[in-house]
Amino acid sequence: MSADIVLWLVQDGITTGAIYALLALALLLVFAVTRIIFVPQGEFVSYAALSLGMLQTGQTPGTVWVLIAGGAIVAVLEGASALARREPARLARILAVYVAGPLAIAALARWGAAHALGLWAQMAIVAALVVPLGPLLYRIAYRPLADASVLVLFIVSMAAHYVLSGLGLVIFGGEGLRTNPISEARFDVGVLKIGAQSVWVAGASLVCMIALWLFFEHTLVGKALRATAINRVGARLAGIPAGLTGSIAFVLAAAIGAASGVLISPIATIYYDSGLMISLKGFVGAILGGMASYPLAALGALGVGLIESFSSFWASALKETIVFTLIIPVLLWRSLASRHPAVEDEEE
Amino acid sequence: MRTHARLAALAVTCAVAAAAAHAEITIGVTLGTTGPGSSLGIPYKNAFQLVPKTLGGEPVRYIILDDESKPDNAAKNARKFVTEDKVDAIMGSNGVPSAVAMTQVAAESATPMVSLTPVPPLAPERNRWTFVVPQPTQLMMSAVAQHMKARGVKTVGFIGFSDTWGDLVYNAVNALSASNGYKLVTNERFGRADPSVTGQVLKITAAAPDAVVVGGSGSPAATPQIALRERGYKGPIYHNHGTVNRPFIQTGKKSAEGAIAPTGALIVAEELPESFPTRAVSLDFVKRYEAAFGAGSRNAFAGYSWDGVALLDAAAKVALKKAKPGTPAFRAALRDALENVKDVIGTHGVYNMSPANHNGLDERARVLVQVVNGEWRLLK
Amino acid sequence: MRAQAVLAAALLLATAAAPLALPEFYVTLLNYIGLATLVTLGLVVMTGVAGIVSFGQQAFVGIAAYATAGLTTLAGLSPWAGLVASLAATAASALLLGAVTLRLSGHYLAIATIAWGVAIYYLFGNLPLLGQYSGIDNVPPVSLGGWAIDSGRESYYLIWTFTAAALVAERNLLASRLGRAIRALRFRAVMAESCGVDTASLKLLVFVHAALLAGLAGWLHAHFLRFVSPHAFGINAGIDYLFMAVIGGAAEVWGALVGASIMTILKEWLKDWLPAFSQRSGNYETVVFGVLMLLLLHRARDGLAPVLARLLPEGARQRPAQVAAPAREAPPPAGTVLLEVHGLGKRFGGLVAVRDLSFAMNAGEILGLIGPNGAGKTTVFNLVGGALAADEGEVRLKGSRIDRLPSREIARRGLRRTFQQVHLVSRMSVLDNVAIGAHLRGGRGALAAMLRAERDEERTLLSEAARALDRVGLGEHLFEPAGSLPLGSQRAVEIARALAGDPQVLLLDEPAAGLRYGEKRALAALLDRLRAEGLGILLVEHDMEFVMGLADRLVVMDFGEKLAEGLPDEVRRDPAVIEAYLGGEAGDRGQKNLKPETGS
Repeated sequence: MSADIVLWLVQDGITTGAIYALLALALLLVFAVTRIIFVPQGEFVSYAALSLGMLQTGQTPGTVWVLIAGGAIVAVLEGASALARREPARLARILAVYVAGPLAIAALARWGAAHALGLWAQMAIVAALVVPLGPLLYRIAYRPLADASVLVLFIVSMAAHYVLSGLGLVIFGGEGLRTNPISEARFDVGVLKIGAQSVWVAGASLVCMIALWLFFEHTLVGKALRATAINRVGARLAGIPAGLTGSIAFVLAAAIGAASGVLISPIATIYYDSGLMISLKGFVGAILGGMASYPLAALGALGVGLIESFSSFWASALKETIVFTLIIPVLLWRSLASRHPAVEDEEE
Repeated sequence: MRTHARLAALAVTCAVAAAAAHAEITIGVTLGTTGPGSSLGIPYKNAFQLVPKTLGGEPVRYIILDDESKPDNAAKNARKFVTEDKVDAIMGSNGVPSAVAMTQVAAESATPMVSLTPVPPLAPERNRWTFVVPQPTQLMMSAVAQHMKARGVKTVGFIGFSDTWGDLVYNAVNALSASNGYKLVTNERFGRADPSVTGQVLKITAAAPDAVVVGGSGSPAATPQIALRERGYKGPIYHNHGTVNRPFIQTGKKSAEGAIAPTGALIVAEELPESFPTRAVSLDFVKRYEAAFGAGSRNAFAGYSWDGVALLDAAAKVALKKAKPGTPAFRAALRDALENVKDVIGTHGVYNMSPANHNGLDERARVLVQVVNGEWRLLK
Repeated sequence: MRAQAVLAAALLLATAAAPLALPEFYVTLLNYIGLATLVTLGLVVMTGVAGIVSFGQQAFVGIAAYATAGLTTLAGLSPWAGLVASLAATAASALLLGAVTLRLSGHYLAIATIAWGVAIYYLFGNLPLLGQYSGIDNVPPVSLGGWAIDSGRESYYLIWTFTAAALVAERNLLASRLGRAIRALRFRAVMAESCGVDTASLKLLVFVHAALLAGLAGWLHAHFLRFVSPHAFGINAGIDYLFMAVIGGAAEVWGALVGASIMTILKEWLKDWLPAFSQRSGNYETVVFGVLMLLLLHRARDGLAPVLARLLPEGARQRPAQVAAPAREAPPPAGTVLLEVHGLGKRFGGLVAVRDLSFAMNAGEILGLIGPNGAGKTTVFNLVGGALAADEGEVRLKGSRIDRLPSREIARRGLRRTFQQVHLVSRMSVLDNVAIGAHLRGGRGALAAMLRAERDEERTLLSEAARALDRVGLGEHLFEPAGSLPLGSQRAVEIARALAGDPQVLLLDEPAAGLRYGEKRALAALLDRLRAEGLGILLVEHDMEFVMGLADRLVVMDFGEKLAEGLPDEVRRDPAVIEAYLGGEAGDRGQKNLKPETGS
């Protein structure tokens, strides 16, 4: 293996690793705030990528139907609770937010598909389509179970993954799509020819990470989320509503997912079922990083990208086996490092 | 309680079905319209919207079930067809392991099976009941091998799916290597949904082969095509008949240009010489399919479904003279008739079956095509 | 009991006759249900009962299926040799995976099982020996004395013999000594440890045994379908199995049967009917399943088996027969030092919970540990009982150090505790809860329990549990679910559980809280008797009247430190104690009513 091959593999590993890192951050964020192992995070990536792909081929993304249906379900749930509490005045707002909102976004997407818009405008439409799915999903699937144990929430995640990936096949079809890159320029760096899109991916991931850091360190909402992550009961007692922090975490997660999707779609073909694998690799990264610290999770995910890149060179057929077996020694090490086995009670 | 109601309903259905059996032929079709094989399974299924409503002149009913691209589900569906629906023949599936699993049911239940995917050599009792519609992979890849030989290719890099299809294409290219004077220098694998194949492609370019063969299908096959071109690989890139569809070009964009693949003639029906035996049938099918599913939606897979039906149609004409549909005698007669069909013209080629050859296609069933200006064109 | 027996007999007859009466496809479907039931059964016990979530059972099915398929087709061995190899291979891999992940928090295991499932799928697909992605075809059928079981109807009997046996064995297991401990694993692992249950090993046992059930299903799968390919062992299969367990429900082993049946039949039904609604191809099946799962988790988190169980006649349980108590160690003579605490310290981050605490307790003595809220009394309990590890100092029990030992080892040495917030398995009967306390007094394993070969031991344990319940005055409530008792009685159950372990040292955390006057007197009388029998009792209590009247000596704590120690009357007059309790208000008044708080 010559030096330039090593460089190429490193460059490739960093590009995919950057996407896994974004996923790992979102997964860790959701887990810390809500204790949800958020498997469907990968579906945001595939929904965003495929929605962008459909827009670029002049079709209205099927995502609009998921958005409208999700909004309608939440409108029914919220409406019922408003009536049960004898607050019919809230109905108008509920209709505006959960019915009119998605319909407006759908109209925008339809218009966007019919006109050849610039890439950035298309990305904005995709964001408008995908980001609301986060809080809608939280409201429908998770909030009624906010007090459930980590493991029950994990099973809910799997069910939500089934629903979203199943709908993905319906609205996007079985074939994959690849979108137009932000820039097709290529730079010569030594022996490497680095595509501008790869630079975009790495750069945007870095920007996202810094933005997240600023958000958590310097905004009130960010601090409230951190407080919730550290002590849920305490945060609730301090007047931070758990439902709200959950919704915010899901908005952020969906936004990160949408960003990952539009970033990766020009350099990788995305399919309706790509989400699970991307999610799982993000998880492997987060676990490699100890499932506790954001920088370590990002590093762990970068590690997954690099290992994947090198193992696809050495033993491509066994690549997935290598990547996924990797967490076993890490867990073994953690297991040995903890003196007593964890004797803990699940919350009843 | 519900189970009882359901069983009762079932009993009634069976009775009705048995009574109706004289009137119509029943064919059970299982396809992987979800799961990893779905991008192929869906066009296979689409074709059944277009097929005639009769077989050999008798009305026909197709029962189409999804097997999630899993062999045990395909076998389960097949069992359901033969035991509950009392079908006269089974068709499917689009995955090789699924089809192989079905051959066992076909043999056990003495039901003719029309396989919609190539199958590896079978044990005699299974082969007896199994008829294969698509061109054997080796027949297809021999077109590639001969083309490479003519170009003086001495070393070939291989990259394929890490699944049965990848195995099958690799084995075919490998088996053809000695007779066509080339050597396989890599056997790289990738996953259908892998975001990157840079590692594999680096290994291939490091070996610097004269040509590369891709053992993928549809849009995922574009991933190595793009990566090879981005990495600056200049040699010819060959694909297989699974790749010949529009999503491959849509995904590969400029990088797809120049890709060469073997296929049944229907993909380039318009370009075929008037004398080409399947031209009329292919053109007719392409016209119908694109009318229903959009311009440019033509693909080889839907053609296999169509040809499978054409084979059954020809065989049913003969079998109906011997027995009534829904009976073991009819199934046996259908099998015998399938084994002896002669000059059945499908969209892919001309079928001439014999006890020794349950596929019956010859070299007229393949042409080489190339991506030129975003279209699959006949390579002359 | 009679109604249940009739029902069971009818069910057995129906099961035996089913293949003769049903159309063949339904027999095939039942075979699939049987296979899925076996896998799900392991999951019901593991996930539903013990709270260990695994999405990777399909990997064990696959390992077993490949082991037997490989050995029978490539090496030409008999399928029965394949069975042995299958089970050995699954057990070995489960041991490895379990040992690595079971010591960590639950979600690590769940994620690890997913990762493991993905890894093994690609491994199967890439081993040329195992036929790569095409798998292994022409697997021979199982033959029984020369009779090949190769039709669907014959396979039915093979599959359902195993499945029915497994259902019965699992039911027996859950109704045994180990079963009670397994049922405590999910919500009450800390309590189980305090009763001497090695929860880590028990979790491993549960994990391996669930894997073995999956392995058995894998072996049957290979010889029933007669081919093996990796596609049946993808990650989605693992998720499906878990869904079956959740649908069926956790409380009963029958949940596995319910879940597997519903999911398998619903799948067939959806496959038939969904295309009628839409020409468009799609994964509607998974969408429908996902939505159903969400609804179920929202509306009936315990699954459908409990709902169905309510429709069945309930068998009345008999009070366990009185059996002679097992041999017990003679208690040390009164006055012998039982428990010594020296220089004990514990910090939580920057907070000092306990600092430099020393005291000793003798046999035949009740030592009261009192102090204001937040003084660190419960932390002392957790340090002495081994639920927490001390940062400094020593704890000695009968002269030997126990401060480095886990609580189960301390329990084995004769120390038992109750919890301030009751730690009962609320769905389990009062008797079964108390019998967990007697865990260490039995020793028969899982296999004996499955075969009901441990009935003698079981009778002794239940008899001891009933005796302990009699002592705390709950002899009339043996079979009520523990969660249905009033809080005061639940505390009494805690004490009974501790007594069932036949301890020499008893740590009681606020046993009188929530008791009525009469109940308190009965409790005081019981503790008095226990003291007379030679037990040493460390008592944390807020009810001053209760403590003052009962304790021989008192240790007073404030801000994690010992404030005073002595006879009740001395302590009552200690100015520092009065200061701590009343915040420096005029001392005279405080002397009379040293009763600052109620409850906690």
